[in-house]
Amino acid sequence: MEKYDVAIIGGGSSGLAALKQLSNLGKQAIILEAGSKIGSKNISGGILYSKKPKKGKVTNVEDLYENFLDDSPFERKITKYILHSTSKDKVYSMDLTASHEYQSNFGYSVLMNKLNSWFAKQSVDISQKFGGGIIPRVHVRSITWNNEGRTIIQTDEIDEFEVKAVIAADGVNSEVAEMVGARSKFTSMQLYQGVKVIVRIPEKIINERFGVNSDEGAAHLFAGDITLNHIGGGFLYTNRDTLSIGVVYHFNSLLKNPVEPHTLIDTLLKNSMVSEFIKDEIPIQKEIDKNLPQEEQLRIRFGVAKLIKSWNDTRRNYLSSTHDNTDELKSKLSFIQDQMVTKYGVTFGTDYVESEYSAKLIPDGKRCRMKKPFFKNILFVGDAAGRGIFVGPRIEGLNVGIDDAVRAANAVARAIDKNDFSQRYLGEYYSQLIDESPYTTDMNQIDKDYLKIFLDATKNVPKDSIGKRYGPILKLMSNDTLRGIAVKFVNILGYDKIFSMIESEDTYVKIPIQLAEKHGKIVSSSYSPNILSLAERIEKLNYTEDHVSHIIILKDSEFMKKMIVLCPAKCFTEEGGKTILQHEGCLECGTCSHETEWRHPRGEKGVHYQYG
Amino acid sequence: MTLLNIAVVVKLEPDFSEGSISYNPDGTLNRSQTKSTLGPHSKIAAQAAFYAKVKYGAKISIGTMSGHIANSALQMAMETCDAEVLHLYNDKIFAGADTIGTAEVLKKGIEKMDGKMDIVFSGHRATDGETGQTGPQIAWKLGFTFLGNVISYDINLEKRTVTAKRLLSLRGISDLIQEIEAPLPVFIAIDPSYKYYFSTASLRLTAEKYQREAHERANNYKDRLQTFDSEELGADKTLVGLVGSPTIVYDVQRVPQGKVIRHAEILDGSNPEHIRKTVTAMREALNAMVIK
Ligand SMILES: Cc1cc2nc3c(=O)[nH]c(=O)nc-3n(C[C@H](O)[C@H](O)[C@H](O)COP(=O)(O)OP(=O)(O)OC[C@H]3O[C@@H](n4cnc5c(N)ncnc54)[C@H](O)[C@@H]3O)c2cc1C
Ligand code: SF4
Repeated sequence: MEKYDVAIIGGGSSGLAALKQLSNLGKQAIILEAGSKIGSKNISGGILYSKKPKKGKVTNVEDLYENFLDDSPFERKITKYILHSTSKDKVYSMDLTASHEYQSNFGYSVLMNKLNSWFAKQSVDISQKFGGGIIPRVHVRSITWNNEGRTIIQTDEIDEFEVKAVIAADGVNSEVAEMVGARSKFTSMQLYQGVKVIVRIPEKIINERFGVNSDEGAAHLFAGDITLNHIGGGFLYTNRDTLSIGVVYHFNSLLKNPVEPHTLIDTLLKNSMVSEFIKDEIPIQKEIDKNLPQEEQLRIRFGVAKLIKSWNDTRRNYLSSTHDNTDELKSKLSFIQDQMVTKYGVTFGTDYVESEYSAKLIPDGKRCRMKKPFFKNILFVGDAAGRGIFVGPRIEGLNVGIDDAVRAANAVARAIDKNDFSQRYLGEYYSQLIDESPYTTDMNQIDKDYLKIFLDATKNVPKDSIGKRYGPILKLMSNDTLRGIAVKFVNILGYDKIFSMIESEDTYVKIPIQLAEKHGKIVSSSYSPNILSLAERIEKLNYTEDHVSHIIILKDSEFMKKMIVLCPAKCFTEEGGKTILQHEGCLECGTCSHETEWRHPRGEKGVHYQYG
Repeated sequence: MTLLNIAVVVKLEPDFSEGSISYNPDGTLNRSQTKSTLGPHSKIAAQAAFYAKVKYGAKISIGTMSGHIANSALQMAMETCDAEVLHLYNDKIFAGADTIGTAEVLKKGIEKMDGKMDIVFSGHRATDGETGQTGPQIAWKLGFTFLGNVISYDINLEKRTVTAKRLLSLRGISDLIQEIEAPLPVFIAIDPSYKYYFSTASLRLTAEKYQREAHERANNYKDRLQTFDSEELGADKTLVGLVGSPTIVYDVQRVPQGKVIRHAEILDGSNPEHIRKTVTAMREALNAMVIK
């Protein structure tokens, strides 16, 4: 049987960070990743933060990858961070850039497919030197300990092998946690459901529309009626020449009031402010005359398709900051446009261009982080350990996972040096490192300085909209001393005691709606986007079908009935009073996992995201 | 460890998948107008070579006879199997060659490759008007054992033999798998159903390493490309090109629509006699499937 020092299960941003750090320390580690290639299974919002905590130290992305700032394919540095409260066509906006910049070196918008492949590239040579590396297309099925206590890894694809330690970086729907019994599945109380679309817009139009230059970007957050009465909200982040637009809702509030995820995202896209953000010029084909000979119809179809493709490519290039010859591109573009119009009767209109639909659960670290993130010689990191930070509209999972992974790698390297992989020497030590992490503090208690930034931002918010319950509290909290005392009190009492107050419909729905109605500006849209249907969205995705389903319904419960509505790919239907699953088209989000036997698809199978 | 020395002969073919085929008025393929790619069967041959490289360690050379537009095919082949050497055999006098004229050029080319070959791979056959004879003819000219329709193989480095599974289709019987052992050197024409599989972590790591290397190499494939004309190959002008091709094409027809012919016998599932007949037939078929 083959032997390796460390197996890292999952090649997302967390697992890749573990490999990099272990390789930096000269240790042998292999990543086993189910996806067809690194990055194809990972999705995020996403803003990747680099943090400078007041107390304690974290390893930031640029500490681990020295050339991150010079070489990595991040999208834009987010320099504007604005929260919008919506009610129909009215919007009340608040600038929260100060909260975004709080204790941050930077926050970059990122797309996970590109970014994770880059991370992987940074580790290949160095990990190879120590006999390690990355193995894609392999799905880990079981981890067991034999009679001599040796750790055996079994997969669906390759022969079993032995390791000394395991780092579980297999994400929020961690099978490792379940198969070894390290923790129970996360509950709906502990999770959010994230659904996202990628919209394509040329770079220069983004710059102009969002008032940024090519290196800068904007983040827009949404609450109010776009939530359709759910706890959570919407986001729009600018990438280089795409937008990441998504909704993130507390799973519990979705179960209470089930609304189809794609309806939730459509509602955001239809908001007049968002519609205006996403619009673009698009060519509209003339209907082909059905009386023409078949061959002629085909010729026209291919001809138009080819021209439109080259129009899109040329325009994208022309409106990007990276080309050298503006004049040449301009005349090429007008030549193509001319041909489209004169040869094929193409006209131009306004719409939006959606490229990718995706979904995944997000763990709320303040509710579900593993208090002891280890089991025997397995260390859990990032989403797998339930470690994500939700503060206000901000989500931090990427930076937390990277820092966790470095801590895990350090603990494992120390165990290798002493050849001691006992719980006490490895697991407890890692747990201690995690307790020391400033991110753990963020998940444990309210930071009064961060709170102040929010309060400052809301200073000008007319208090009449804030309601009886919050008005007096806000007033009280605006006083530095009183706020200090209140926060201390809350932290003694337990942060978790006040979640229900912060995360309530009042905060995400009612107050924003009132604010917008009473004080918002009217934003009107010049068109209404032709929003893709769910079927069109699924059709745009790449899949490798597996005839074996990776999900099995365990019982026909109320929960499963709700999945008929809450599965973002509509994989569940009702037939003769029973809930039926059709796994084809599954986005692997994990929403249905709580009451199913849920696995990731076998190696290489399932969905392949292009953006993430 | 001495590495295996492997050659892959590949072919540039029209890209049927693009729907971009173009015909001359006389019905023959208009090659200059048709987009080209590495033939799908050639790609599988390169994959088969890659398997040996990962599993046993090998030096791979690729050869093709074609015009200069073959470069992209060579690049693709290089990316598929992480070859070290690319050969392009290009001369006006090679034009109009049939399979035997082609085989002569490729044989000469293989002999120009560094060292003596242990295995030569070729695709099953080309998709554009070839009859699957080039492979056996090269093998015959080289004096190598020819193994056709190979669906999987392994090598015993000590004994210097290859064991291969061949897919045989015989009239009236569904597919048979024949397992054979032959001493190196061999010429393997790979079956279209061939797919390599690496079953251990270390093989997967090695495959990943070579795939990355292949990607780099393919980006700079010109550094490893050598071109030969008939003189440089030392080819006998009477054996190559049109002159060396005894085939006479007397008619060219468009690809005919395939007719489905099936002999079906309708059996009644409730009739025990019919069931017995079915089971017997299935048993016979199963018994006939694997011949060692
Ligand atoms: C809509 C949305 C918005 C978000 N916004 C932000 C944001 O703005 N900023 C931020 O920091 N974070 C954000 N997050 C959270 C962030 O994306 C995650 O925290 C992060 O991606 C987790 O990375 P990971 O490596 O821990 O897990 P994943 O990225 O989930 O990686 C797990 C990997 O393990 C593999 N795997 C799983 N099981 C197996 C197995 N058995 N065998 C082999 N491989 C396996 C999977 O294929 C996958 O590649 C957001 C998340 C969502 C969904
Ligand atoms: S079947 Fe389950 S995991 Fe797949 S998309 Fe639907 S809810 Fe998500």
